[in-house]
Parts: sequence; structure tokens; C-alpha cells
Amino acid sequence: METRVYSNNNKYSIKDIVLSSIKGFKSSFYLAKQLAKRDVKAQYRQSVLGILWAILPVVINAFVWILLQSSGAVKLTATAVPYPLFVLVGTTIWAIFGESLTMSITTVNANKNIITKINFEKEALITLGFIKLVFNLLIKFGLIIVFMLYFQVMPSSSFLYFIPLLLVTMLFFVSVGILITPLGVLYGDISRLIPIALQFLMYVTPVLYVMPKDGFLKTIMYYNPLTYFITDLRSTLTGLPVEHWYFWIITFVVTLFLALLAMVVYRVSMPILTERMSS
Amino acid sequence: MGEVLIKAEGVSKKFAKDLKKSLYYGVLDLVNGVTGKEQVRDLRKDEFWAVRDLSFEVKRGECLGLIGHNGAGKSTLLKILNGLISPDEGTITMKGKIGALIELGAGFNPILTGRENIYNNAAVIGFSKSDIDANLDTIIAFSELEDFIDMPVQNYSSGMKVRLGFAVAAQMQPDILLIDEVLAVGDLGFILKCFKKIDQLLPNTAFIFVSHTMPMVARICNQIILMDHGKMEYQGFDIAVGIGKYYNKFTTSENSVMFDDGQLELSSFYLNTDDTNTIQQKQNLEIELNFKIKNTDLHTIPSLYLEFRDKEQRPVAGAIIKELKKEIQGDTLRFKITVKNLLFSLGFYSIDLGVLDPSTKSPILRINNMVSFKVQSETQLWVPIELETEYTVE
Repeated sequence: METRVYSNNNKYSIKDIVLSSIKGFKSSFYLAKQLAKRDVKAQYRQSVLGILWAILPVVINAFVWILLQSSGAVKLTATAVPYPLFVLVGTTIWAIFGESLTMSITTVNANKNIITKINFEKEALITLGFIKLVFNLLIKFGLIIVFMLYFQVMPSSSFLYFIPLLLVTMLFFVSVGILITPLGVLYGDISRLIPIALQFLMYVTPVLYVMPKDGFLKTIMYYNPLTYFITDLRSTLTGLPVEHWYFWIITFVVTLFLALLAMVVYRVSMPILTERMSS
Repeated sequence: MGEVLIKAEGVSKKFAKDLKKSLYYGVLDLVNGVTGKEQVRDLRKDEFWAVRDLSFEVKRGECLGLIGHNGAGKSTLLKILNGLISPDEGTITMKGKIGALIELGAGFNPILTGRENIYNNAAVIGFSKSDIDANLDTIIAFSELEDFIDMPVQNYSSGMKVRLGFAVAAQMQPDILLIDEVLAVGDLGFILKCFKKIDQLLPNTAFIFVSHTMPMVARICNQIILMDHGKMEYQGFDIAVGIGKYYNKFTTSENSVMFDDGQLELSSFYLNTDDTNTIQQKQNLEIELNFKIKNTDLHTIPSLYLEFRDKEQRPVAGAIIKELKKEIQGDTLRFKITVKNLLFSLGFYSIDLGVLDPSTKSPILRINNMVSFKVQSETQLWVPIELETEYTVE
């Protein structure tokens, strides 16, 4: 018979925690799927535009920049692919960064009522967030495909790298997001700060325009790691080669480490957070 | 009686009263938790013990009743037992599958239909898809909501939601069952149904039951813990004693004058209860009421109506004292009333007093909760009156 012992003993071995975390992910998969189905259904049942809401913010943002560029209000360096596609892909990927980063805080906060009442594997919430993330992604990529067909941009062989690189990117941001979740659940400041910080960061990352050849902004973008995420991901979608392989190898190693750390921190901090949550 | 399934040894839990402090301590605990450092054992500033040094055992087939006033620490203890939060001191050992009815209908989304929400709720409390598919018809039948099962849950009444939630939870086959005052919302038929289900589970389950409804506790529990400010005030197998101590906490309620036309004043009253405001069952209850007449228009002796209420404020008995057409002498009135052979079962009762004009039946004075007292008895019953019986057995 299964025996559980609860005590205040907080000596733990990383190995045990990681193993029980993996077990938690496995055993709670059905729950995560069910909750994802619940959230997606509920989200769209009470709406007329339905899944359009998943792409509307990206489209509007892209549209503004397309307008600014085509009217000549803003002078931008020419891009390798048609500018509307460049902007759309850029803002979509940027949105993925943000959604991945805030995913775990959002999901934990949205499910406070069950966290405080029911003992289930909390890893389910991460899977839940991930499923919803991928679901929203698919809708957005549907739009990108439409644009690619319209502008007749053909992806090259680098397209093969798109999915692996995207997964590494998402895992990186999700892990960072999980690591700040404990603080973010305790203090509302974090979830308010993230969108503001992201908005600022967007302008020092080549999302809406290419990296300038020289100048102050070039230096910032050069040292800004987000530059490499977005440039290469965009390249794989628009038929350009991936340029920064060293960056990706290092990022991959760092991401693995962060993911492991995130699993441990999440599992250890959940009971401490549950105490301080209002249901 | 089977093996010990729940064992608590010296369990304590502290909380901070102040939100900002609580959050700050949360950060400290997080850092200590992740780095594996010792947690602070003593109370920090603004902290208090929500649960203090509790130890008990529950075997398979036993039911532990957890009672106490609001904020006594019952729900916190239940959360610790359920593994939602960890104790600050002590150890809890739980053997077997745990079913917790701390909240019914967890995971419901109001926009979705009852049927869809069965899947959500069942998944949250640990069912697999095949379990749910197999039990779907049973769940719907148990909830008796066949006609509304495809309606959004937001249009359900709270009782209907609880029905649906319990119907799902009732399909669990737990070794340990934790129930926190969740059944109170349902209607009578549903509550009876729940108890039938609980009775079925009880022989194979170690059961912890949190409730404010003493008759229910008396009906199912064989062990009781009375909590007060996190501490254990009574623990034992004598349910009657535990419930009696709990009732004692409430015997000092204030009375309230509901109506007074100024003719009479209740100057004093007396009950033949002992120092602890208790009377033994099957004794005579003597009540003495002294009135002062303030208005000389009152010539005939008024009639009295005494209404007895139990702790849940349900009227359970009444007495009419009527002295027809007698003239009042002087300006005071003394009623000496004997309630013969008091049949009330163990519990806490209060008396409402009504004074009426005997001819017009119009009220003169009405005092709710004039006095309250406790009845002590060997037996503990679910009903307020224990009838006296004579019988032969052949």
C-alpha cells in the first residue's frame, strides 16, 4: 500500500526530486490534457471571433509597423524578405518568448482554487500551460503560412531546424518563467513587470527591423542574446541559413541545466506557496 | 478494526497574521527550502500556531470527528493531512489512497456543461479517462441531474453543483477519506444519500470528518478531537464528552428583547442548573420567572409561552402556561414552572419567552434566547428528544 510521510524535513536529494517530478509529469498527463481542453473550450465558447483572438494582437502590432514602414514615416533598412512577412514572423516569435516566460505564473494563478483544495501532481499545470502554448502557436503559424504563400517565400533546408530550435527556445523561456514563478506568485509585482520589460526589450532586439550596421543600437543588439534567438528562428522560417550555431549549442546546455533546476525549484516551492495562496 | 492508516505525531503549523510578513517569510522559506537549510522552528514576529502539537491515530473502519469553533485550525489540519501544505513540526504518516472532499466540484468551469465538468472534476481528483467513461452513467444517476446535465454549470444552483461534485467524488474507493463541511449545502434528500454512501465506505476506510453539525458527528464518529486555537482541548473515544465540551463554549450567548409593550419587565429568572449551567437528562427542569408590573392597566395574569430551541436554533419543544382570568395582586408576578422529566438528549438548548394577554392573545413581551442551558446525558443522539420507553423482550 502506498505510504506517504509528511514532515518538516526539508533535506532532499536532487535526484529524488527530479525523479518524482518526472513521475509527476507522467502520471498527470491526462489531467493536464483534460484541463487544457476545459480552458480552450471555455475560452472560445463564450466568444464570437473565437480563435481569431489568438492572432489578433500579433496582426495588429504587425499592421502598425507595416503601415509605418510603407508610408515612409519610419525609415528602415531593407529586409531580405518582404517587410510584412519579416514583421509578422518577428512579432509572432516575440510573442512566443513572452507567452513562454509568463506561462507558469499565469497557469498557477489561474488554478489557485484547485491548488489550495486538491492534492494533485502540480506538474500537471506546467504540461497544461505548455499544451495551451502550443495550441496558440499552431494558430499563429497558420497565419504565417498564409503570408508565406502570398509572398511566395519558400523555406530552404534550414526549415528543418525550425522545430528543434523553437523547442529549445520555448524550454529556455518556460524554465526561466518557472524559476521566477515562486516570487511571482507571492508578489504581484513580477507579473506586472514582465510585459513592460518585454515591451522595452522588443525595441533593442531585431524584431521589427534588422540589426543596424553601426551605432549605439548595434552594440546593444550585439550583446543582447535575444537577438540571436529571434534572428535565427526567423531565418529558418524565411529560407535563410542559421548563422549562430555556437550560440545555440551553449543555449542548449544552459537550457538543460535551467530546466532541471526549474523542476526542482517548482516541486520544492509548491507546498510553501500553497500556504500563502488565497483560494 | 484494521491497521492504522493515519498517524499524526506532534503536528504543528504556524501562520503569519500580517500579509506582508507572510509573503516575506514565504520568500525566506522558499530560499531555505530550495537550498535545503533548516527552517526556523520558533515563532517569528506576527506568527501564531494555527495547529499545535496534535497526535492521533485512525484505523481502518474508524471515524475521527474534528470539531471546534471557526478558526480553531480544523481546515488547516485537514490541508496538512491532505499533503497540500507541510507541517512545521511533527510527522504524518498516511497509508493508502486518499480521497479528500475539502471542496466539491473543484476544477469546474462555469461555462461548460455538467457533463463536461464531470470529466474536469474527476480528472482533478485523480481519475483516469477510462475510469470516468466507465462511471459516467453512475455519476449522472447519483447526482439526479439527468435533465440538466447538458446545461452550463453557471446556471446550476449551489446545491446542484454540490450534488454533481459529490456524485463524482462518491466513485472513489479511498482507504482514507477526509471530509470538510461540504455537505451542508445540499437538500435533505441529498444529505441522506451522502450519508448512505459514507456508511457504505466506512467499514473499509479511515475517515476524518470536520463538521459543525454535532448530530452528524455523533452519528458517524467513534473518536473525537475538540480543537481550540490550534490546540487539542479534548481527545478521546467518548463522543458525548467531546461534544459536551464543545457546547459549553457557547452557553453564554446574549438574550435579545424582540418585543416589549412596556407593561411588564422580566426582573429576574432562575434555572435549577449546576455551576456549569448543566442539567442531567430525565431530571425536572425548574424555571422561576419574576416580573415587575410597570403599568396598572394590566389586571389579569398573562399567559406564557416557552419555546425550546436546540443549538441549530431549531424549535424542538414548547410549553404553555395559562392561568385563566385571575386578578393580579400587587406589582410583581412570580411564575414557578417545572418541566417534568426532561427528555432532551445531550446538547445545548435555549429558551425563548413569550408573554401574552390571555384574552386578546396580543403579545406583551417577547425575549429570544432568554436563557440557555446544557443537558448532560450518557447517550448521544442525532435527534433532540430521547423518548422514555418501557419494553419487554421475549
